[in-house]
Amino acid sequence: MSLYDRFRNLWRKENLEQELDEELLAHVEMRARKNVAAGMDPAAARREALIRFGSRASAKEDARSADLLGLLESIGQDVRYAARMLRFNPGFAALAILTLAVAIGANTAIFSVVNAVLIRQLPYPDAARLAIIWSGFGNANRAPASTFELFQIRQRTKEFDQIGGIWVTNGLLPGEGDPEQVKTAVVTSNFLPLLCSRPRFGRFFSAEDQTPNAPFAIVISHGVWARRFGSNPAIVGKSVRFGPRSAVVIGILPENFRLIFPGDSSIPPNVDVFYSTAIDASNPKGPGFLRLVGHLRPGSNFARAQAEADSVAAQISALRANLGASVLRLRVISLQADDVGKIRGTLLVLFAGVGFVLIIGCANVANLLLARATKRTRETTVRAALGASRGRLARQLLTENILLGLLSGAVALAMAWAVVRAILAARPASLLNFGEAGIDWRVLAFTFAASVLTAIIFGLAPIIAASRIDLVQTLKDSGRPAQKTTRRWTGVLVSAEVALGFSLLLGTGLLMRSFINVLHVDPGFRAEGVFTFQLPPPRYDMLHELTRKLAAIPGVQSVAAVSHLPLDEDIANWYDYYWKEGAPADQQSTVMADHRSILPGYFATVGATLLSGRDFTESDDPAHEHVVIIDDILAQQLWPGGDAIGQRLNVSDSPAGVYQFQRDAAVVVGVVRHIQCHSLTAFVRPQIYIPFQLAPRPMAIVMRTSGALTGLEAAARKEVSAVNRNLPVSRVAALSEYVSRARSESRFASLLAISLSGVALVLACVGIYGVLSCSVAQRTSEIGVRMALGATRSDVTNMVLAEGLTFVVVGLLGGIALSLLLTPALSSLLFGVKPGNPANYAVIAILVLLVGALASCLPARRAMSVDPLSALRCE
Amino acid sequence: MTPPAKDVLQGTLTLLVLRSLAREPMHGFGIAEHIENVSRDVLRVEEGSLYPALHRMAQDGWISAEWRPTENKRRARYYTLTAKGRKQLAVEEQKWSQLTTAVRDVLRFT
Repeated sequence: MSLYDRFRNLWRKENLEQELDEELLAHVEMRARKNVAAGMDPAAARREALIRFGSRASAKEDARSADLLGLLESIGQDVRYAARMLRFNPGFAALAILTLAVAIGANTAIFSVVNAVLIRQLPYPDAARLAIIWSGFGNANRAPASTFELFQIRQRTKEFDQIGGIWVTNGLLPGEGDPEQVKTAVVTSNFLPLLCSRPRFGRFFSAEDQTPNAPFAIVISHGVWARRFGSNPAIVGKSVRFGPRSAVVIGILPENFRLIFPGDSSIPPNVDVFYSTAIDASNPKGPGFLRLVGHLRPGSNFARAQAEADSVAAQISALRANLGASVLRLRVISLQADDVGKIRGTLLVLFAGVGFVLIIGCANVANLLLARATKRTRETTVRAALGASRGRLARQLLTENILLGLLSGAVALAMAWAVVRAILAARPASLLNFGEAGIDWRVLAFTFAASVLTAIIFGLAPIIAASRIDLVQTLKDSGRPAQKTTRRWTGVLVSAEVALGFSLLLGTGLLMRSFINVLHVDPGFRAEGVFTFQLPPPRYDMLHELTRKLAAIPGVQSVAAVSHLPLDEDIANWYDYYWKEGAPADQQSTVMADHRSILPGYFATVGATLLSGRDFTESDDPAHEHVVIIDDILAQQLWPGGDAIGQRLNVSDSPAGVYQFQRDAAVVVGVVRHIQCHSLTAFVRPQIYIPFQLAPRPMAIVMRTSGALTGLEAAARKEVSAVNRNLPVSRVAALSEYVSRARSESRFASLLAISLSGVALVLACVGIYGVLSCSVAQRTSEIGVRMALGATRSDVTNMVLAEGLTFVVVGLLGGIALSLLLTPALSSLLFGVKPGNPANYAVIAILVLLVGALASCLPARRAMSVDPLSALRCE
Repeated sequence: MTPPAKDVLQGTLTLLVLRSLAREPMHGFGIAEHIENVSRDVLRVEEGSLYPALHRMAQDGWISAEWRPTENKRRARYYTLTAKGRKQLAVEEQKWSQLTTAVRDVLRFT
């Protein structure tokens, strides 16, 4: 019978039923007629025919099961029966559904994040062919490229059909109104089309925008368009004020356009103004500032692009070998893969963790089902004795389980939705770009698959146990179950739960230890009580006046400024090579440092430690001898074991104006203790400090106050506008916010780990408790006999406790083995603690033992209170 | 009354049904009667297994079924051997003769 026929049969259900009936009836009649012919009286003949036929119903059922209709009908029966079973056991149903919903919900939640970050494509046209191209030199691997390098790469590449560049900096909000500092980006004219198929209105940049007489053109974000220009499309083509000059708005970006780049690229997701730049290929040693994005030519791939990039890098290095420039390396990485590089490990570990929770949940529900199966043994046995086949019984159980799984899945979806909200609220900076973790068809499919698969897995043990039932034995035993198989299964399940729970707790312990270590890291400054905000590049006299006025605000102890706040990863970092004055060319590109422009008093204000020498003063200006302060790490690198004070250093400064870098000789006047500038946990680069007057930049004001930070903002804004009405204040924040953002990934990981292992621990406890209670209930009469034969109450208690602790110890051993195997995968997330730390193992093992003992205690007490007389009378 | 008879050996029902239908199309009762008569009441077909077997064979495409009036003016489902069923019959017959040969050989071995 073809599938088509089966479907057609569905359709003519009545017909088919009738046909079957008629066929069987005809048979019985023919048999009866024959019996009459053989001399029987008609009634007896018919009776004999019916008896010979056996159960017509059962023949019909067997004949029918061949049809899809029959199958569907009996599944419908199974589902109805299953629903009835759940309704009649509301306690069991609620516990099972809740357990599974928590486990599946946690999985769905984490999966929706994994989906958003690791699975879904970046929202760019042809995202799979986009690559980020990093420059590397010296010990820097993820550096920006110079325009010279971009030009040279474009000239030589055959694997990329487009390579664009972007640099994000601070600028002024275009249009009329209060001055406001926003993120602006300089891009090559081909950059935006790589990431956006078309603008909302207007156009993107073209080569004509670079011709000498072309008006200065900008593309603005949807946000600025709405906020500053009232969402008026007529603004396209109009000239607007843009800082000190005017610019023509040529295009408006779509509302959902975001720049999704790796955290260390200094490219924030929301940039408000874009303008294009020509590619100046004249300076082979020009500063690197562009992040390059390439689009692979059709038919090319990342491996080939990397091979080509290696040879291009060698050619560029050869071009400027005689200029003392260091050897260039180029690294081509898929934009998608690079974006998630940092968070991928965390997510995969978390995903594995929720997987553990799911297995524990499954084990628990399997145990519940086993316990119930023992109670249901009699029902099952009777059904089997009445002729239900093993397959049919198994199918009934499976239907019940799948129903249970699907109900849990539905509850889980609701839970996951709430959990995803919570995750989004607590997410670390490295996840900030991924706003759209939510429930889409992939998440739905995942939850559905997880529910059904879970149902099948947790249902296996009870089904196997049920299919081993010995009919005769069970019926003879008046329904007392054959306990051996079931007990062995529950033991295995509980031990497995303990093992997985132990591993989760151990991982959590490690992550918590790391987080505590991160909390206690000394970043080289004291963030508490420091208030900050940012300004565009100010004139020195203005800055000087402003700091004086700010210092007069009541409660403010000191005021200074720095070009780049510690742990602020949102603005482009500046770093360069430094060498001892007079060093030969081949030793000039060995030591690299971040350079920071500061006002006198910066170290005191942020609580950094000046180890030797002096701070800057107001007379450290271009007219006097150029001076710098370096940190202890740079001092150690340049003058190991010696004194750095008074030494002469070749530095990169810009006394002529903002970003007009030049090489200069300067004297080291101070050594300060290293400040963690990029990460609390990793050393990146030493620092060099230059007086503002030698290197004007956009600055961040830092104010140390003895009082509360609230109210400071209004006072500070008042002082700023008193100095200059047009000076925009932006990114007002406490310095401690930068520190806490730097901790967010560690906090995120340990927060989620704590929730996960908390759930796991509770589930495992419920598991141990449930299994022991059930075992005590089943063994009531055995305990009665033991007590009647002279066992004391403590003997009985010990017996139950020993049973429980056996599960726990076996589980512990398994857990230790599992953890030794798995925890090394955590090491990239850990800080200041080794995965194999024995103390950690010991603490967690003791914790698990205690909790296990606690979960065993209640059932043990119940066993102790068994009354031998009544227990025996029950027999 | 029918004398005590043996139920059809497990697994041979298919062979017997196919063989019976090779002669002419028959209804279920006819098949059962035919097998009992020809085997001189040694083999007895369980109705409870005959109809499921017939439906399964129809599903496998070995036989086809149609309603026809019987000699007694009743409607009955007549089963006809298909070409595929004929092939299957050859296979089953060969298996059976292998089996009987094997059993005979074992019995003769002294």
